[in-house]
Amino acid sequence: MFPYRGYAGKCLYVDLTSGKIETREYDKALAENYLGGNGFGTRLLWENVAPEVDALAPENLLIFSTGPLCGTIVPNPGRMEVIGKSPLTGIYGDANTGGFLGPEFKFAGWDAVVITGQSPRPVYLAIADNQVELRDASHLWGLTTSQTENAIRQTWGDPLVKTATIGPAGENLVRFAGIQITPQRSAARCGLGAVMGSKRLKAIAVRGHGPIRVADPYRLHKLAIALHQRLRANPIFPAVHASGTPGIVSLMDALGRFPTQNFRMGSFPYVDHINIDALRARAFVRDLACFGCPVACDKLYRVPDGPYAETALRSVEYETLNALGACIWNADLDALLAANRLCDELGLDTISAGRVISFAMELWDEEILNLDDTGGLALYWGDMDTVLPLLRMIAYREGFGNLLAEGVRRAAQTIGRGAERYAMHVKGMEIAAQDGRAQKSMGLAHVTSTRGADHLKAFPVIDETGYPDEGRRRYGEQYLPDIVQPLATKYKAFLVKDGEDFGAVVDSVGMCKSGGTFVLAEIYWPDIAAALEAATAMEMPVERLQRIGERIYNLQRCYNALHGITRADDKLPSRFSEEASPSGNAKGQTIDIEPMLEEYYQLRGWDAETGWPTAEKLRELGLEDAIERLQR
Amino acid sequence: MHLEAIAEKCTGCRICENFCSVKHEGAIWPERARIRILAETDSGPFTPNVCRQCEDAACAAACPVEAITKDQATGAWVVNDDECIGCESCVEACPYHAIFFDAESGKAFKCDLCGGEPECVAICPFGAVQKVP
Repeated sequence: MFPYRGYAGKCLYVDLTSGKIETREYDKALAENYLGGNGFGTRLLWENVAPEVDALAPENLLIFSTGPLCGTIVPNPGRMEVIGKSPLTGIYGDANTGGFLGPEFKFAGWDAVVITGQSPRPVYLAIADNQVELRDASHLWGLTTSQTENAIRQTWGDPLVKTATIGPAGENLVRFAGIQITPQRSAARCGLGAVMGSKRLKAIAVRGHGPIRVADPYRLHKLAIALHQRLRANPIFPAVHASGTPGIVSLMDALGRFPTQNFRMGSFPYVDHINIDALRARAFVRDLACFGCPVACDKLYRVPDGPYAETALRSVEYETLNALGACIWNADLDALLAANRLCDELGLDTISAGRVISFAMELWDEEILNLDDTGGLALYWGDMDTVLPLLRMIAYREGFGNLLAEGVRRAAQTIGRGAERYAMHVKGMEIAAQDGRAQKSMGLAHVTSTRGADHLKAFPVIDETGYPDEGRRRYGEQYLPDIVQPLATKYKAFLVKDGEDFGAVVDSVGMCKSGGTFVLAEIYWPDIAAALEAATAMEMPVERLQRIGERIYNLQRCYNALHGITRADDKLPSRFSEEASPSGNAKGQTIDIEPMLEEYYQLRGWDAETGWPTAEKLRELGLEDAIERLQR
Repeated sequence: MHLEAIAEKCTGCRICENFCSVKHEGAIWPERARIRILAETDSGPFTPNVCRQCEDAACAAACPVEAITKDQATGAWVVNDDECIGCESCVEACPYHAIFFDAESGKAFKCDLCGGEPECVAICPFGAVQKVP
């Protein structure tokens, strides 16, 4: 019997090739060494998906994985992970989502669903508590994400069914297709929607009626109340609640870290058209929250009139306001919201979708692309009459869209003629709305992230603005003032490493990086360790938890090492070191990664030449099997 | 005392359901929560649905064995498990769908105002459920 509480204690293994569905007890050693969520998926990928397996081959795994605190009463327990090899980067891939799906898995009695193989025909996986079956999805193939969700709910006859769906983009193997999660959330990055499409799995639908039992409900209750109270008393809680991530648009713009025209600039002259004030005045309907979240950073927006009237959507984020706004030079908020909604319906990651378009627009501007290349599309900055149809062309892989559906790295290679210079990616992953020139730790975070360019692995937020309060609360006085200064490089390797290890734990227990752990900087190692003890009855001193975070992150790096990733790949596009940022607080700044990276490898115990974890470090983390595999 | 829902303050987070079930069942178990969020769509509008602790309670009136009685100290109508015969007459009678049936134990269950300190009122971050004296 699985000994720990907080977990459902069992997983589903589904082989889509044979249609076989198997129930397995949750692996005790895995829980002890990797917790769940992100760590669980990392270990499974490491053990089962060899370097030679293509991300879109049946042998790749697609893992939906919750953690032991997911669905409980700690604040923001609605998060779950999707893990698989990424068709965009060809290396370790994961995507995290909020919403209500993760908890529903656990109410249905499952910690994780591990998918392998490829179905001969479109199917969806229906999980009604203990009743699990593959159902025909031929009639759903081709539908958008919300159409799919609605159709499944109608057939089921229960509006509380939660789903993970792909749209046309996932079906057509767009390399940055995401997975849409109830309610209008996305497991967006790394192209895992294309992995789902390659398996001909249109959706997973879940309804659970059971309990999540914890080891010591009295103690967990006491801890949870204290955490809720601390969040509500946090000085920036009101702002995060009121505005969500769009609240930082104007601030980031002033700092010169709001990528504009494909990172040519860091400030957008029309930012007032797409910031939180514009959004609120134009389209605010109501505050919304993910499961169990007291922050409620989500909002429902609806365009009231005009050509995009009645466009209604939630999960409008800072990133999308940049990717489909400033970065493509678009100041038309209504059209931006329509494009955001369209990406959700088609199942496209808004960040990468926006970036492939800003990449193409800059190439057009630089006269590297012409009408012959684009099939007659003129790609002028900010032209939303072109962008909206182009998003469809990407999702359906039509004409020029077929090229962009490959992501900027592959598209640049195909185009040639110096296009690589304008491809803003690290390891094949398009860079989000974070500019290392304006925040040095973010530049380091992009190159050390295990899923390619990414702000969310290390998520260095305390040095975004230079305000010392959060830095003091989290790290004490000793690292001030450098650690909170965006342009300083001192202590940033430490900040990034700590963030990566802590983030791996947050993503493995099922909590949120926006609602208290990183944003608000309120919940930290000791809080999660205590909550885990109360929920699971595992002994969890802080040192053990830190070791788990480090183990997970090192194993992801090892997995990438098997795929040929070395220090040479830990680099930013040349733009960031060669072109000075022209605006804001960052004016005149470039970024030199190397000194920070050197320090980072030292802190990590990684070899400075290869960038691989040393045998000594791996032994210390109990990853002896990785030593062997890396030597081969 | 009874509870009142302020629907426009509800974000649909279900924290109330979760804490309610921990308080009464010792597990996170929305299907056993005494308070339920009603949602017109996934994105609202939402209404926390709570027992009104009616003056003339239809549930108590419908009970053939008088298992639902008023706690004079709190004003809550409370199901007496020893008396309840599991006939579900109360569930059918309640016009607000605020009393439920547990098929496992064969008993009805409902909001008891947590003995005077309702968990949902204490935990709701935005005051969408409030105590009315």
